[in-house]
Amino acid sequence: MIPNKFEYIRPNTLQEALSILSAYREDAKVLAGGQSLLSLMKLRLASPKYLIDLSGVPELNYIREESGRGNSARIAIGALTTYAQIKESAVLQAKSPLLVQTTHLIGDVQVRNRGTLGGSLAHADPAGDMPAAILALGAEIKAVGPKGARWIKAEDFFVTAFTTALSFDEIVAEVRVPVLKGYKTAYMKNAPRPSDFAIVGVAVCLQPDGGRTCQNITIGITGVTDKAYRAVGVEESLRGKQLDPKIIEQAASRVTDGVEVNGNIHASKEFRSYLASIWVKRAIQAAMSGA
Amino acid sequence: MLKLEEILVTRNWVGKPVRRKEDTRFVMGVATYVDDLDIDCHHVAFLRSPYAHARILKIDTSKAEALPGVIAVITGQEIARQTKPVVPRAFNKPAVQYVMAVNKVRYVGEPVVAVVAENQYLAADALDLIEVEYEALKPVVTIEDALNPKSPLIFEEAGSNVLLHDKMVHGNIEEIYKEADLVIKEHFKVHRYSSTPLEPWAIIVKYERANDSFVVWSNDQQHGRSIVNVCHTLGISTDKLRFIVPDSGGGFGVKLALWPYIVTLALLSKKANKPIKWIQTRTEHLLGGTHAPDADVEIDLALKKDGRILGLCIKDIQNDGSFVHTTGIYGLIKFATMSGCYNIKATSAELVSVVTNKGPTVQNRGVGKPTMIFVLERMVDLAAKKLGLDPAEMRFRNFIQPGQMPHTTPSGEVYESGDYPECLRKGLRHLGYDEFRKRQKDLRSKGRYIGVGISAGVEPGTSNLGYYYTSRGVPEYMGNAEGAIVGVDYDGNINVLLGSVDSGQGHATTTSQVVADMLAIHPDRVSMTNQLDSIISPFLGHSGVYSNKFNDVDLGAVIMATKKVRDKMLRIAAHMLGVDRSKLKLKDGTIYSSENGAKAVSFKEIASVAYKRILLLPEGEEPGLKEIAYYKTPFAKMPSRENFNIQITHSNSVHIAAVEVDVESGSIRLDRYIIVHDCGNQIHPEIVRGMAIGSTVHGIGASLYENFVYNEDGQLLASTFMDYLKPLSVGLPNFEVVHMESPCPYSLLGTKSAGEGGAITSLTALANAVEDALSPFGVKVTSLPLAPEKVVKAIRETKEI
Repeated sequence: MIPNKFEYIRPNTLQEALSILSAYREDAKVLAGGQSLLSLMKLRLASPKYLIDLSGVPELNYIREESGRGNSARIAIGALTTYAQIKESAVLQAKSPLLVQTTHLIGDVQVRNRGTLGGSLAHADPAGDMPAAILALGAEIKAVGPKGARWIKAEDFFVTAFTTALSFDEIVAEVRVPVLKGYKTAYMKNAPRPSDFAIVGVAVCLQPDGGRTCQNITIGITGVTDKAYRAVGVEESLRGKQLDPKIIEQAASRVTDGVEVNGNIHASKEFRSYLASIWVKRAIQAAMSGA
Repeated sequence: MLKLEEILVTRNWVGKPVRRKEDTRFVMGVATYVDDLDIDCHHVAFLRSPYAHARILKIDTSKAEALPGVIAVITGQEIARQTKPVVPRAFNKPAVQYVMAVNKVRYVGEPVVAVVAENQYLAADALDLIEVEYEALKPVVTIEDALNPKSPLIFEEAGSNVLLHDKMVHGNIEEIYKEADLVIKEHFKVHRYSSTPLEPWAIIVKYERANDSFVVWSNDQQHGRSIVNVCHTLGISTDKLRFIVPDSGGGFGVKLALWPYIVTLALLSKKANKPIKWIQTRTEHLLGGTHAPDADVEIDLALKKDGRILGLCIKDIQNDGSFVHTTGIYGLIKFATMSGCYNIKATSAELVSVVTNKGPTVQNRGVGKPTMIFVLERMVDLAAKKLGLDPAEMRFRNFIQPGQMPHTTPSGEVYESGDYPECLRKGLRHLGYDEFRKRQKDLRSKGRYIGVGISAGVEPGTSNLGYYYTSRGVPEYMGNAEGAIVGVDYDGNINVLLGSVDSGQGHATTTSQVVADMLAIHPDRVSMTNQLDSIISPFLGHSGVYSNKFNDVDLGAVIMATKKVRDKMLRIAAHMLGVDRSKLKLKDGTIYSSENGAKAVSFKEIASVAYKRILLLPEGEEPGLKEIAYYKTPFAKMPSRENFNIQITHSNSVHIAAVEVDVESGSIRLDRYIIVHDCGNQIHPEIVRGMAIGSTVHGIGASLYENFVYNEDGQLLASTFMDYLKPLSVGLPNFEVVHMESPCPYSLLGTKSAGEGGAITSLTALANAVEDALSPFGVKVTSLPLAPEKVVKAIRETKEI
């Protein structure tokens, strides 16, 4: 790895990290697991002058159940929690399994051991897996900055490729996901090889009414355009409907409505769009047949 | 030729899967690759062309030179003043190219300026300060572009983008076609891919001011020839270059072409006054270091109604990119095996090599034979379909029969041994072919599509290097050979120095097995120095690791040198024991009298006489116990257009792939994969098995994932491992390897080649399997890779992948 010159700083508290970030502003980048940022620095596509490594900040690594605002119970996940920790979390598996399902399809063992939830969200790769899951869950992201903390809704968080609603002096500290009762979830992705970034990734939270009728559904899509998004058109077409194969297929065809679809050497615009509808269908079917 | 029983005095080690000697070093991370050498170096970085085709108007390096820590800078102009152009091996037309771009750039990634700095970071920083003015020219990217008379010329002085156009006809092709009941034609396209060894190119050059000479450390694959190339290009005599090859992390052919960089580093080392180092990055490697050419092949088969193939004609156009040294070579190598495993009486090969603004091409694992077997084995399936025959039956009707061995192909290639029908029978039995067909039918009725693909290929080994005689006069290199030094040390242990350097094949292990059985000792007492030093090691112009030559000529040299040492030890022992030489035998590191076992001397005692008590040597015997020998394959024919064997040994394999295609998404799942492999006698069956699987995975990568995609501007869109996709262990089946052993009568140990077969035979196994799976949709496979998008499109619209 031959990056541009940078200064490496390893603070011991979140507060310290924030004050360094405030001082260096746009010249600084925050390093979590390094699974995406370091690749960009290697190619000199990212050249931060200051790299603030959060690995010395222990307070951001946890998974705990909390009673949230209002009545709904929530699970709070520290930003530096790794994919591997999420994958092994009994609490998440029992009460909000979508993130666990998602981690099964992220990278390989090494990536899961290093990569973090907060890092993935803040990096906002248009083909990252976690953003789709976060959107489907309607999660909230806690951003902390010099003026304190604020909560950002997942659907407001992703702005465009590698750009989020975070201001330059803010750090993702926590993600809160709802405890799901009566929901079925699934994450599925199409990728050239199992550990690759998604050509299309689909996260589904489905609330059936006991029968085959869809009471509520939220769908997060990644890999298709410049950012992860909610497939609102599909959701609308399914709410209150019988989940018959035909209806699902028709609804799924709306997945790229109003979206500027990306094309590259692994899938053209048209093919990606086609695959997205197929994978939405498959993810809904997987959610229906799953727990 | 020596007989096997004259070579091996015991049979304890050859043929057994002994523990590999190399692995401990590699697994512990204590091997010595170029980058591990403890040499204090400055570092080199290359500024590379962002354009596929452009004139260089102006280069300003002043800001880079002013950067603190920058030691020296060199441009292509300066290189051209101090060196000779790169010598083309295969074609005659004028095409002047230096080791760096001079007046124009010809591919994205071509080196334009090289910088030496105190460390690699500063060297990379300095590149950002170099200003180059380009005038963009229209890029010539595809074969169609290159053949279009309106396209610009890559080499103006050549007058054409076609640098080689030859036609080789063998047998009475016109008569044969008159006898045919039908002729089928097809047009295939094979994409660009390559190997990507774990360790990319690596070079250190030290300039020795005292005698105006250079020391080079590099993981070069064919140093015998590279020494000649570097010295010629620099215009120095060969005594001015000491060439050292340490450990090398994989070659696969791509390391045959790193020598132009040695030339640049040599010139820079003179300026730097300190050793300088360049370790290629992965992106540099993918951009230009190097590819197998993409090819466009028209083929027709002349057939009898009963399925017999009488003759075949191909027109092969290869896109050789932009490196004149190897342009044209592929066609000249691959046409020789165009008749595959079959009794075909006449062949015609029209060979066209074009240059374009794609990256350089160099011999890569199998060198064109993957393409050749792909088109042939696809045609066999298409012919079977046309004639209503089962693809297995079609092959049985055409195979060269074991009783017909040795078989000479129309162009003069000699297949020495093998039982091709039995290989296929074994494979079909192993799969359970009939049951598979039943299951296929059942599953189809449930909307699932599985398919089986058969491919039979020959895997030639040991190049007879005169092949480019066909177009360029008397070749500089002919035949094939290697050198070895075998020494017995003070303690009676054996050390071997070879003219080639292992890059993963297990030379030390295999050599120790052979030497152990030649001297009746344990392989632990045989070591190999895995390094070549041109002032110490034996080497020839042929030296290196390429074209599967190890089992044949490398071990040939080891055997000959070991035999010399053994003969000398026997002479000394006879003298020491007062026993006639014919009565002596070897056992456990001693030589003893077969008539009186008490009369025995150990190797150590013999060594003591050879090295120290030299007055006890027999009359006229030289002191010392170290012997050098060279071994040349005796079966290389003289260059001739009519009758020439391009390679000496011919292994063969049958691959059977079983796949399932998801017809909705186009993705292909490998269900089973059977390799029936015959490489003659095996010295180390586990190494052979590993190579059979490894090379097959290479072909699977090429068939499914790996693709150097260029856009119309000539930009490479797969310049990192995010986009150039290698196969992963996840997604591969458990390979079922079945061995056959048909000993080769033309190599000392009855061995043939083992390192390339999978890469040759596998492409069609997958293609045929996918076509078989999709037969209800009428889809025909005429190109690779089998990308999901192409699969879906073919099912829904085009009917052709």
